[in-house]
Amino acid sequence: MTQKPGKLRAEFRTELPSGWAFDEIEARIGPIRDQLFKQIGQPVRRKEDRRLVTGRGRFTDDFSVPGECYAALVRSPYPHARIKGIDPSAALELPGVLAVYTGVDALADGLGPIPHSPVPSTKFDVRLTAPDGEAPFIGPHLLLPIDKARHVGEAVAVVIADTKARAEDAAERVDVDWEELPHVTDSLEAIRPGSPRLWDEVPDNTLVCSHFGDADATDAAFQSAAHRVRAKFHINRVTAVTIEPRAALADYDKASARSTLYAGSGGAVRQKRELASVLGIDPDDLRVLSYDVGGNFGARNRVYVEFGLILWASRKLERPVKFTATRSEAFLTDYQGRDLHTTVELALDENGQFLAMRADNVSNVGARCVSLSPLSKGSGLITGSYHIPVAHLVARAVFTNTMCTQAYRSSGRPEVTYAIERLVEIAAEQCGFDPIDLRRRNLVSADQMPYRNAVGAIYDSGAYEENMDKAMALFQWPDIAARRDDARARGKLLGVGLANYVESSIGSPVERAEIAVSPDGEVEVVIGTQPSGQGHETSFAQVVADMLQMPVEAVTITLGDTDIVSVGGGSHSGRSMRHAGTVMTMASADLLAEARRRAGAEFGTPAEDLAFEDGAFKCRATNRFLTLSDLSTATAPLAVARTNEMHAPVFPNGTAICEVEIDPDSCQIEITRYASVDDVGRCINPLIVHGQSHGGIAQGVGQAMWEDCAIDPSSGQQIAGSLLDYGMPRADNVPSFDCEIAEVLSPTNPLGIKAGGEGGTTPALATVTLAVLDALRPLGVRDISMPITPERIWQALASAREANMQELVP
Amino acid sequence: MMYAFSYHAPISLSEARKRFEESEDAAYISGGHTLLPTMKNRLAAPSDLVSLGQIEELQGIAVAEGCLTIGAAETHASVAASDAVTGRIPALAGLAGSIGDVQVRHRGTIGGSVANNDPAADYPSAVLALDARLHTSERVIEASDFFQGVYTTALEPGEILTKVGFRIPDTAGYAKMRNPASRYALAAAFVARFGDSVRVAITGASEDGVFRWTEAEERLSKDFSAGALAGLTLNEADMNEDIHASRGYRAHLAALCTRKAVELQGRLTLL
Ligand SMILES: Cc1cc2nc3c(=O)[nH]c(=O)nc-3n(C[C@H](O)[C@H](O)[C@H](O)COP(=O)(O)OP(=O)(O)OC[C@H]3O[C@@H](n4cnc5c(N)ncnc54)[C@H](O)[C@@H]3O)c2cc1C
Repeated sequence: MTQKPGKLRAEFRTELPSGWAFDEIEARIGPIRDQLFKQIGQPVRRKEDRRLVTGRGRFTDDFSVPGECYAALVRSPYPHARIKGIDPSAALELPGVLAVYTGVDALADGLGPIPHSPVPSTKFDVRLTAPDGEAPFIGPHLLLPIDKARHVGEAVAVVIADTKARAEDAAERVDVDWEELPHVTDSLEAIRPGSPRLWDEVPDNTLVCSHFGDADATDAAFQSAAHRVRAKFHINRVTAVTIEPRAALADYDKASARSTLYAGSGGAVRQKRELASVLGIDPDDLRVLSYDVGGNFGARNRVYVEFGLILWASRKLERPVKFTATRSEAFLTDYQGRDLHTTVELALDENGQFLAMRADNVSNVGARCVSLSPLSKGSGLITGSYHIPVAHLVARAVFTNTMCTQAYRSSGRPEVTYAIERLVEIAAEQCGFDPIDLRRRNLVSADQMPYRNAVGAIYDSGAYEENMDKAMALFQWPDIAARRDDARARGKLLGVGLANYVESSIGSPVERAEIAVSPDGEVEVVIGTQPSGQGHETSFAQVVADMLQMPVEAVTITLGDTDIVSVGGGSHSGRSMRHAGTVMTMASADLLAEARRRAGAEFGTPAEDLAFEDGAFKCRATNRFLTLSDLSTATAPLAVARTNEMHAPVFPNGTAICEVEIDPDSCQIEITRYASVDDVGRCINPLIVHGQSHGGIAQGVGQAMWEDCAIDPSSGQQIAGSLLDYGMPRADNVPSFDCEIAEVLSPTNPLGIKAGGEGGTTPALATVTLAVLDALRPLGVRDISMPITPERIWQALASAREANMQELVP
Repeated sequence: MMYAFSYHAPISLSEARKRFEESEDAAYISGGHTLLPTMKNRLAAPSDLVSLGQIEELQGIAVAEGCLTIGAAETHASVAASDAVTGRIPALAGLAGSIGDVQVRHRGTIGGSVANNDPAADYPSAVLALDARLHTSERVIEASDFFQGVYTTALEPGEILTKVGFRIPDTAGYAKMRNPASRYALAAAFVARFGDSVRVAITGASEDGVFRWTEAEERLSKDFSAGALAGLTLNEADMNEDIHASRGYRAHLAALCTRKAVELQGRLTLL
């Protein structure tokens, strides 16, 4: 059952910025009635699966062009080193080697840096700036650096040869004259005075420092508070480990002077725009194809240097050039995720009412700034699902000698959810409140919606307390004591961790849909999002099918070819269903308006007198009817296009609960139960949303328990460079999940959609950690960092034992 | 991508030996699940790969005179599923079934695992604890002489391991704590009983690879119970350390695995 959002309360209405709430009159779509939904809300099986599971997917490396040659990269073995010279002669001597290019060659050919635009730019994003208030210096991302390498694995030269093996052989023979420089890999180290400097333009490595909220009011509230708690956390760095490594094939057609790039990504339109800028060519001279994509999670949203390099090389050599990363290259140089240091403080009154919060967030962006989305997203949500009247946040972004970080599934939100939920739990323990009661007392209530939090984010709708109650019921919360006893009888420690979450989905604001109905009844929809497993071909078809009252099978979704898709924001930040759903609804309305006009002319009756039912316009007076395909002809096809710009974010929210059992002797940990309630706004396809929740939970649990891009601070080398050391969630180490979908509609878009792809991940870091701490609390453990491996549990128990012993000594 | 190499698939032991001797820098390949990843990472560059997959002398599982003999080319999956193994030494079948994942178990072989002597591999512990005899193309080597430190064995260059002959114990148990990423042993103990004598082999834990824990053996020979091991610890300083487990934790796990393997004889126990 969907729930309508509460009526906008008078006192909030004036506060809402113009354009925030969706206006169906202004959008020219008319009212949308749930009663017409036949497909929306149904668990329609995914149309794309047959193709994908029978090996008929079209992934990048599946494409080949006659005469193609291969690129291999010469990469820095050092975290920070000056390039004193590059001698390619030994490489060029090998048979089959076509070229070796360096940064100097790229500069000579006038190649520009990748125009990353890292600062999120919708009207509702928080404003991140340099310490002086100006736009931050982001460290130009040249395809190949000329001065120095700033992280291990940074490419400094590219070799092109007629086979992949020869290219790799030759790359080993490129002689780089390195001068090693001091390096720094941790962001808190990097901001210490005297730390190695990555960019002369940013002497203290701090590219962003912004303040949000009200510092004075926060100080005042802290001063008079009955209770104050404080904690420091590090949310570790992880990487996406997509099944399909990143790959690209560049093909240059001399006759037309056009390049085609086959490259799976998070959105072909961005790739085209930014790569054309790097090459200095007209965007029309570049076609980017992104068909099936074997995993993204954010890692593929931004442009990679290899894509630009092979485009450039293929134009110079007039031959197709291919690059497919190895798993080792993926571990080293895929854009990575998270890596946030945070210090948080909470002030409470004697009854446990939250009064104020402080946060100091330091984001490690790596060697250059590709995206500030993680810092930005987290900044707007530091107060989580709770009503905290005042807050103050310092948000900093810092360069280090590590691979660049990027938005990674649920960018920025798991980090701050982890911080606030752990802080609330610490407050409960230190001040003597029941942790559930404390949450209940402070949750933003449904009648406060839309709610503006202390740093200015406007939560659109939601029933947070109801989520918590539903999740606790699903989890069989009252039985915890009995389960704990049962575990104890088996020698196990049982722990439970609950986390509430709210996240913001914003994303690139512009999306375009083109819809055409052919005379034979086929509906084609062209859209600029890019799925990598989210089932757009199915759920988008459901929306258009209902709008046009056509069967879902008749609707085909076309994406991923920039010669067809002209505008489109790609898929990130939970934007696709909402943006596509909205603009498809608008385009459908346009199409129906045109069809109505045609039908009116045909019948000779005023168009507004016609009824639209079951996909046909009916003339009440005559019983005559015309279907949409009847109204489309080869010469005048029924076809429309609509572009929509939409800025207001939505706030998916929910509650998740995790149960673990720990063997105190081996320190082995097992997740034994996991329940969640996720408010995704209107759910178009519950089968797909559940799949997203499950995958999202596994991904969050993965970070909490196994995944870690640990870096050895002394050498700057990544320690886990392969799947032998980088642990992943697997079918046998995550349990079955009990997930329920809640549907409180968002007032910001016509279908009331929020987002469903990231809610599984957002609370999972917190739930797992809190469950482990709950299990270990009786043994004196109060803190543990991620990933929570058996080794870490063993260490925590050993330290707690030692501390207990010391307490016993008078 | 690997460096270029030539590939040979001989069908007899002598042909394989000959190929090896005639090549500049040959390597035998069995299941390839250790060798190929190394080659893909360009950490090994043999000029020739001589496959051991088609050689009859390296195949088969047989029981005779108190001995279970497994051909070097038998995969982990076939050992795990063999009636001869599950019927005589169920802990050994369990061990084979605990290696890596399905793909690894269907390619990787006992010969490759034993010849490679990875410090975290499972089989070497069974070889030591079950007092196995290692049959090669040249001779028979006793288990106690075979393992000579990490990735090092008594095999001479070109010598082929053909069979592993395990002494069938009265009972045996294997307990393993798996590395959460690779599923190799973080620490594991194979404990076998032959009449009054007990053999305990520890893998995964030590810096020097698999070893026999003689103090534990002595205590267990007198009193075969987990309780007999109370208070007995391994020297932390001899243990291995990496991101997954510290020396102290490995010492703790090795002792714990030994107790579990004693308590739960006749099977594999995953901690
Ligand atoms: C993902 C993954 C997980 C794994 N997990 C585990 C685990 O949990 N436990 C575990 O024990 N192992 C594990 N392994 C290793 C696996 O069991 C290997 O297959 C095994 O160790 C080597 O056997 P192989 O047949 O693949 O040997 P190969 O890789 O073919 O050869 C290994 C070495 O032994 C030599 N060799 C092979 N056969 C002979 C012979 N008959 N005579 C002389 N020399 C020979 C080769 O020349 C080579 O040097 C894992 C491997 C992978 C890839």
